[in-house]
Amino acid sequence: MCDTGCAGNAGRPNMAPVYPKAGRYPDYARLVDRNRAQVDRRVFVDEGVYQAELQQIFARSWLFLAHESQIPNPGDFIRTSMGEDDVIVVRQRDRTVRAFLNSCPHRGNRVCMVDAGSKARGFICNYHGWSFGIDGGLRGTDGKVYEKDETFEKAQIGLTPVAQVDSYKGLIFGTFDPNAPSLLEFFGPFTFYLDIMLDNDEGGTEFIGGAIKSEIDCNWKFPAENFVGDILHAFWTHQSGAQAILGGGVDLGKRYDELAFQASVYGHGIETNLDKVGNTRTLGYPELVDYVFDLSERARDRLGDLRSRAIGAISSCTIFPNFSFLPGQNTFRVWHPRGPGKIELVVWTLVNKNAPDHIKELYRKGVMMTFSPGGVFEMDDGENWEYSTRVNQGFVTRQQPLHYALGLQSADLDRDLPGHIHKGSLNDANQRLFYTRWAEFMEHDNWTDLQNGETAPPQKTASAAE
Amino acid sequence: MLDLLDISKPFADLDAPVDLETERAITRWLHAEVRLLDAERYQEWLTRCIDPDIRYWMPDMETRRRDDPRGMFAYGEAAYFDDSWKELEIRVKRYNEPSAWADNPQTRHLHQISNIEVNATEDPTLFAVHSVFTNVRNRNEADQDIVHGRREDVLRAGPGGYRLLRRRVFIVQNVLLSKNLNTFF
Ligand code: FES
Ligand SMILES: [Fe+2]
Repeated sequence: MCDTGCAGNAGRPNMAPVYPKAGRYPDYARLVDRNRAQVDRRVFVDEGVYQAELQQIFARSWLFLAHESQIPNPGDFIRTSMGEDDVIVVRQRDRTVRAFLNSCPHRGNRVCMVDAGSKARGFICNYHGWSFGIDGGLRGTDGKVYEKDETFEKAQIGLTPVAQVDSYKGLIFGTFDPNAPSLLEFFGPFTFYLDIMLDNDEGGTEFIGGAIKSEIDCNWKFPAENFVGDILHAFWTHQSGAQAILGGGVDLGKRYDELAFQASVYGHGIETNLDKVGNTRTLGYPELVDYVFDLSERARDRLGDLRSRAIGAISSCTIFPNFSFLPGQNTFRVWHPRGPGKIELVVWTLVNKNAPDHIKELYRKGVMMTFSPGGVFEMDDGENWEYSTRVNQGFVTRQQPLHYALGLQSADLDRDLPGHIHKGSLNDANQRLFYTRWAEFMEHDNWTDLQNGETAPPQKTASAAE
Repeated sequence: MLDLLDISKPFADLDAPVDLETERAITRWLHAEVRLLDAERYQEWLTRCIDPDIRYWMPDMETRRRDDPRGMFAYGEAAYFDDSWKELEIRVKRYNEPSAWADNPQTRHLHQISNIEVNATEDPTLFAVHSVFTNVRNRNEADQDIVHGRREDVLRAGPGGYRLLRRRVFIVQNVLLSKNLNTFF
């Protein structure tokens, strides 16, 4: 600041976008003990660890922003978060998608107060009336005050863009790191598994309108690790939901030993039982089971036998760090961190665009009945994650690291599938790799190391699976 | 179908208040209904209070600009409840399982109902009832969830008394400030 006595332009603001630099936190990385298959409980409650996560993980990873179908036309937008950063995602006039921090560069107020909208021409800040185009640039200021100020450099000012935005088969992601590798490199060969849901039929996918949002007082990693590979909990946690809908417990079927597996690439993970319709069946509508059986037959040409069996199977998936979905149940969700002990959960339903309307409607209701706050499965998840988090406020309690050692000898080196493959879906393997990825983000300040560590895909091809 | 029974349609202006006796009877019914819910007598609630043709809807509430034609909610999009009898029955079945962990140990429930307005409709057996509620759920030592909202009910008078035929529930929260909804409204 220099109001008097400074010469020339020395005092003018630099309003170029600022992106954070990554650091190195080897002490935090060591909280994940690969050799003993244990995770130190401080990762769930420590404020220092949490701030490092925002810097190392959420400011660098590709994070889920929106489905293309939510913002079909220029000016259509939705508001979301990347970590704790509030972000606007908006379709441009050239039909590309860009995203911006939802904060006015003047005094910082939010420029967009709503969840979503269509055909907006721009965003006007309620505080002093600065207005921004859908391209993020400053368009105007209220009144004539700034226009009379010769030093005011309007062209320099705009909403800070999310550094990179890209989409994969309908799903839009963004990263704050200008140096992050491409979205495809971030996924690596894990796209092989994403296609089970995103490319199982002609015409692509869409989200059903609206989103259910709720708060859970848990660390974000508990739900993320749950979806990356914890079918184990379904037997106990979800007994009541399974009884209510299916009239019996969760059943992995006769061919479990032969078929079920976990796969992991760069911390992204899927566990599946390849039983064709086990997940879909839990939505409670026989018409959906028929639909998925047909779909699975049709999809053999596109996806091959193995993946066509996974479309509706008992399975779950997390894209590192905090985007998860359930094949067959079609719930897609983000676990937004809100401090070490709180998340905001946002849930959508994905359907194939060309599915008949009554099928889409049954998915909408089926997801509501199972995986929404009043759903018979989701109902019983929250309290587990809350107390798994909260008990670690106990100083003595948090000295004992947790046990992630199910299936230590289960690596499957024969099966020719992309990524790290482990036998059986009842396994902690994907969760170990999820936390290994977490530790890699804590350890490394550069993408060369990040993309060439233990979680990187082993070198092999997927050809045999086709 | 009467507009009144279309779950996607709001009540028109309610300007046909019923006589005191009917109002008293329906008010009593509403109080008795939530007493069953507070006592977790869900099966009884279903069989005694709910009409087999029930439509029970609670949409997600969004924050939108005033000039947004979609408004705060839209029928056919995401909802907490959009139930017929079949869906309500599944939810009740879960409550009745001993392994419904979110309800074991038991939750302490309270529904407070007020602002009750009872209106006659063009069908003498149907009543349009508006009310507001406060729902408090408390569990374990200090886990507390509070939900406020309003309801637009259609009650049908029959031989066995009143039954709920349609209910639209509008809560005031956008992000549900709770981990779950282990109750009905
Ligand atoms: S804070 Fe936005 S115009 Fe002042
Ligand atoms: Fe679960």
